Amino acid sequence: MARAWIEALLAAGVTPATFVPDASQGRFDQEPVERAAADVLEDAELATHAVSGAAGPPPAAFLDGIQQWRVVGYDGVVPIVRAYVAAAVRRRGVDKRLRTALEAAREFAVAPLAALGGEQRAALEAHIDVVDLPDLAPSQPGPVLEAARRAVDGARQTLERALAERALRLLGEREWLIVDGLLSVSGKLAAHPRALGVIKSFGTQFFEGEALRRALTLAMGQRTSVFRARGGHARNDVYSWYLRLWPWEGNDLLYGLLRIEARAAEETIAAAGGVSSWLLGERAPVSTPDARWDRLLYPIHDVETYLRSRAPRDFLPASGSRLPRTGT
Amino acid sequence: MIDKSRPAPIGRVVATELKPATPHQFHFWTAVETSIGIGAIVKVEEGVGRVVYGVVTDGFAYSDLQTPLHDVVGAEGDPVRAAESPTVRQEIRLWTAAVLRQVPEEPLQPVPLARVFVATDADVAQALRMDTYLTGAQPTGIPVGLYTSGGLEAPVYLDADFLLGPEAAHLNLSGVSGLATKTSAVEFLLASIFEHFPKHKGRVAAVCFNVKGPDLCFLDQPGALTDEDLRRYERLGVAPRPFERVRYFAPYKGDGVNLNTLRTHPDLVSDVEPLVWGLAEVLDFAEVLLNRDDIDAKADAFIDFLADRVLNREFDDPLAGRHRVETFADLDRLFRSIFDALELSGRGDMWRTHHVATIRKVRNRLSNVSTRCKGLVTDDGPASDLPWGRFEDRAVYVVDIANVDPLGQDLVFARVVSRLREGLERRELGVDAVVVFVDELNKYAPADGPDTYVKKMLLDISERGRYLGLVLFGAEQFRSQVHRRVVGNAGSQIYGRMDMDELATPAYQVLSPATKIKLATLPVGELMVRHPHFTQPIFVRFPRPPVLRGRDGVERFAPAADLPFAEAVARQLWRLDRAVRPNTVRDLVDGRDEQDVRRALAETRRRRPDDVLAYFRKVLGSRVAPDAARERAAVPPLGAITDEPY
Ligand SMILES: Nc1ncnc2c1ncn2[C@@H]1O[C@H](COP(=O)(O)OP(=O)(O)OP(=O)(O)O)[C@@H](O)[C@H]1O
Ligand SMILES: [Mg+2]
Repeated sequence: MARAWIEALLAAGVTPATFVPDASQGRFDQEPVERAAADVLEDAELATHAVSGAAGPPPAAFLDGIQQWRVVGYDGVVPIVRAYVAAAVRRRGVDKRLRTALEAAREFAVAPLAALGGEQRAALEAHIDVVDLPDLAPSQPGPVLEAARRAVDGARQTLERALAERALRLLGEREWLIVDGLLSVSGKLAAHPRALGVIKSFGTQFFEGEALRRALTLAMGQRTSVFRARGGHARNDVYSWYLRLWPWEGNDLLYGLLRIEARAAEETIAAAGGVSSWLLGERAPVSTPDARWDRLLYPIHDVETYLRSRAPRDFLPASGSRLPRTGT
Repeated sequence: MIDKSRPAPIGRVVATELKPATPHQFHFWTAVETSIGIGAIVKVEEGVGRVVYGVVTDGFAYSDLQTPLHDVVGAEGDPVRAAESPTVRQEIRLWTAAVLRQVPEEPLQPVPLARVFVATDADVAQALRMDTYLTGAQPTGIPVGLYTSGGLEAPVYLDADFLLGPEAAHLNLSGVSGLATKTSAVEFLLASIFEHFPKHKGRVAAVCFNVKGPDLCFLDQPGALTDEDLRRYERLGVAPRPFERVRYFAPYKGDGVNLNTLRTHPDLVSDVEPLVWGLAEVLDFAEVLLNRDDIDAKADAFIDFLADRVLNREFDDPLAGRHRVETFADLDRLFRSIFDALELSGRGDMWRTHHVATIRKVRNRLSNVSTRCKGLVTDDGPASDLPWGRFEDRAVYVVDIANVDPLGQDLVFARVVSRLREGLERRELGVDAVVVFVDELNKYAPADGPDTYVKKMLLDISERGRYLGLVLFGAEQFRSQVHRRVVGNAGSQIYGRMDMDELATPAYQVLSPATKIKLATLPVGELMVRHPHFTQPIFVRFPRPPVLRGRDGVERFAPAADLPFAEAVARQLWRLDRAVRPNTVRDLVDGRDEQDVRRALAETRRRRPDDVLAYFRKVLGSRVAPDAARERAAVPPLGAITDEPY
């Protein structure tokens, strides 16, 4: 960890630390839990449709991002975080192999600047791009770290969004862009005829009662009617539907369940069946050993693996123990 | 041709705690599509400083699939669907390479985790340490084949000092019948040696024992070569020509006039010379006769007595009478006189300190030779032998013993090899180095089995030959079943297609499983070479030999049927003098004792008189005078084969 800026901080009197918060390795997969409105568009009420057998996919590119962060020092009780976010688009060739088309990464520090001593703050700002955590009441480290997490998450989303918009310009005539997560985060993405968001977490509740039951108990190879997702955290209107990749019986209600987002347009309703059909085909190869393999499409997993292999190695938790160091 | 212009790395060394790079081995990955394969030579280099050369010994492919079960799950148990999955998994080509050479050699360190390149011509020379003997004032490289990998190729050379002595010597070839191209490889290598044997090392010849059908009977005839063969000859700097100087030697068949070889086609038979030895030659190698079953000092002493005191002398014995022993028949007459006299006189069992049992034993052995090796051993008349003392530079002497009785083969090996050794020792053979090629070592030098004289001779060459320039090229199907000191002393080894069971024997433990698979499936024309300068085995390709294959030879030059006695004699005289008329010879020979005729024929051939027929007629009338009594050139005895480590 011989980073110049960390050296400078230490020189400025910051106490060194190596703390890797539990939530810092992956991206934060929980959508904020909230209720949202949904207008069923395809049928009179939310219904289930059998998806015809897995079809061959159109040309496609896949986008995903990662984030990693750790505490590298304390100025008094104020944590200073080092963060790394990266995103990539990998395109599938006719040989069925994925190749990187676009990638971007950013390394930065996160800290409540106002809470730092003058010298420490100067040392930090002189050496690295810093994301400030303003308006934080002085506290124990916990809330600061939570705020840092959100800041890192946001930086990752911003990077992904920028990359996605660049990717849209590169897309071939029939090529699709499949994004891990919400499509509605970007107006350009949400408006593109061949962009899909694949959501594998279920923080937002669109239905209740019988409709909710139908949505969450889809059998394998079934999808719901297309509905308009409105409000909630979604900043842009999109159409959406649920799709079950693997039988959930004997596992869990959400096992193998995806929510798909696509452009809010009439054509999406007509296309939902076909799109679902080739998404079903993406079940293989399975993305084990990832624990979320029932919902994680292999190409998305591949992008993530690619990004991890390129990330700085020193974000990983040290393999040794946290016993006090001896010697010099 | 290897292009040096823009080298791009083809891989990268990787090391993990479980698979670290060491000073002798490393791992690297390449693109899935790569020209690298088992046996490829690579160079590891990063910036300036250390360069490591290695040869690929193993390859691995795997994907990120954690367990095969997950593939089944993804395809829902249907192999057809597995093929239809829209993405192929990430996969790797991981290779293991053994270090051939590190530059600098000191300090010896683990291979750096650096870029990997395919080797160029110059890299191959470096990697195999060929630079040490290809350059300099007196280069000693002998082309053996082309190292070939991914469309690139580079000539590989053996060091004459290590192939033909004095630093190391001998070559052993093994591999399955018909696919290993052992005989072909020797034929090519001999051509290469004749062309590239360094001037400062002097004159070289080869003595090839033909032990299998027509194998080596057409070394002077051109073989069929493809364009690819010709290109390889050109690249290796060897002329695709059959041998210019070949002399063939074969004993007679039992009738004493027809040659015991498959090179009897009328167009070719004229340069086959008979290999015929008399009693004197046989007595020189008495050990051969006795060593098969027993070592008997008394019989030895008696044979010495015969050779020194009786053979070719006026021998007068109070009991047995006057004898002049020149032939087996003469000797047998002496024996009978001795037995008769002893019986008549009732004077006991001893004759001149020799027990009658010993005499009987020697008599049995000798009469055994003259009956079992009829055609090689004449009962009468002079010998016809290899041109001792007049060996020519770059000449091949083929001794055809394919159809000779094992006892006769023993005798031929013993005599030829001993004479070669003596000639080289005394520097009076005519050449400075001789390659002796013996095929079928499984038969002639088996790991177990009786200690035949052939085996002793092969061991003797293997262990002492290299200082003399007496070099053994031996071939066999199963190396593990050849006497270990014969194979163990071979400085260089060539392997063609190998038998899987053979590869499973402990001797091949040093080879990686992938190398073994490659050996077991090696295409015809490709060989694995081990040589003292190469720290790892190297695969090379070589062209078809420049000579006619034995079995093609017997088709193109069908062996002639045996001629009737008189006809055969006429044919041989005609060969000496084209004016000889068969009818005249037939009339002359008619009604004569065959033995007398053979003797006259041999004498005529030896003298090569101006008027062949007149001389033959004259000799046929009289008894042929023997050579003057000569120094006995007995073989220095060889130690018994022991198990001492080499
Ligand atoms: N360089 C070559 N390229 C292609 N074919 C070859 C090459 N050399 C030899 N051959 C062919 O391979 C065959 C076997 O060769 P060869 O007789 O030398 O094998 P061998 O190992 O001596 O067999 P055996 O044990 O039966 O004596 C022959 O038909 C020969 O023509
Ligand atoms: Mg052969």
